[in-house]
Amino acid sequence: MARLVGVFAASHGPIIARDWDTMPRDHRDKLASAFDEIGRRLRACRPDVLVVVSPDHWVNFFINNLPAVCIGIGEEHDGPPEPFMQKVFPHRSLKGHAAFGRHLLHTALDSEFEPALSHRLALDHGACIPLWRAGVGPELPLVPILVNDLEAPMPSIKRCLAWGRLLRRAIESYPEPLRVAVLGTGGLSHSIGEATMGWIDEKFDHDCIRHFENGEDRQLDAFLTQALPRTGNGAHEMRDWVIAHAAAGSTGFELIDYFPSPQTLVGAGFAAWKLPPA
Amino acid sequence: MTDYRVSKLFFDLHHDAGLAREYRADMGSVIDRYQIKPDIRKALLADDVASLAPLVNAYLLRFYFQVRGMPEAQFIAKLRAMDPASGHSTGKVAHG
Repeated sequence: MARLVGVFAASHGPIIARDWDTMPRDHRDKLASAFDEIGRRLRACRPDVLVVVSPDHWVNFFINNLPAVCIGIGEEHDGPPEPFMQKVFPHRSLKGHAAFGRHLLHTALDSEFEPALSHRLALDHGACIPLWRAGVGPELPLVPILVNDLEAPMPSIKRCLAWGRLLRRAIESYPEPLRVAVLGTGGLSHSIGEATMGWIDEKFDHDCIRHFENGEDRQLDAFLTQALPRTGNGAHEMRDWVIAHAAAGSTGFELIDYFPSPQTLVGAGFAAWKLPPA
Repeated sequence: MTDYRVSKLFFDLHHDAGLAREYRADMGSVIDRYQIKPDIRKALLADDVASLAPLVNAYLLRFYFQVRGMPEAQFIAKLRAMDPASGHSTGKVAHG
């Protein structure tokens, strides 16, 4: 049977890639150190497949066809289309894990979840900045889960918790001895293209972190459901952290680092969940 | 209220570098292909961030003004000018 071997989350933001070489060195070092630690831990758990939970920044979908959740079940996916990403993460294609993708899809459909499916997704900066900085290359098979974090109405936090539990069930029921890791990307607070653009809501971020550390689903759900409409729109990406959190079994997480990053317009957060012993 | 046609223009410009080049050279002729309403056409030609913001997804708005070549600091300043109280109606407080 497959086994969940690691669950992580990391922020992303196009400026991290766009301005990597020109941002103040001490800030870049802080970001690099946190991403490096994610990469170190990810390598240490020796995954055979990485499930990447991230938003789609208008790359695969538009408002004429916008799934709440889409699972990538292809043998291959496209690398990032953004020119600023192609400079730093120049992989035109990324390996998929079709068999686990299909198993996750079937597990979802058998459990009254109805995700969209894709045989070839393009993975934008949301997925690829953490992969790039964590040192994950195109050789590690991915199963992308794209979540609508950008355009209301979005999946409820309760549903994201259910998605995370479903992901865990899919891992535990996969018949091959696969080592599966999960990476949620995005968050913490940020505000894009709206009147508060640039705002980093540190109170929201610290409250979020506390709820993830406590690992209590009902309180996390109540907090995010109430707080997300009141903070910057980028914080909706916390849905990806919620899915990772529930996949880990809501066991609480270890914060690797958090700091406001006005240089990249995000509350930068990095975490690894505590997993119960196998 | 979302305007589909201007959203589609922004989406297409985000995806098609050739169209973006053409748009920079002759905005009017590209806009005309999208059957965009006259008041929105005027806002596009004037780089009127405040008028366009309610019509499109906020991320598409950002992509669009990157295509337009507006510096991010200027884009942010125009957004903040939309709401001098920095979002009091939504309970938001602006920070650096």
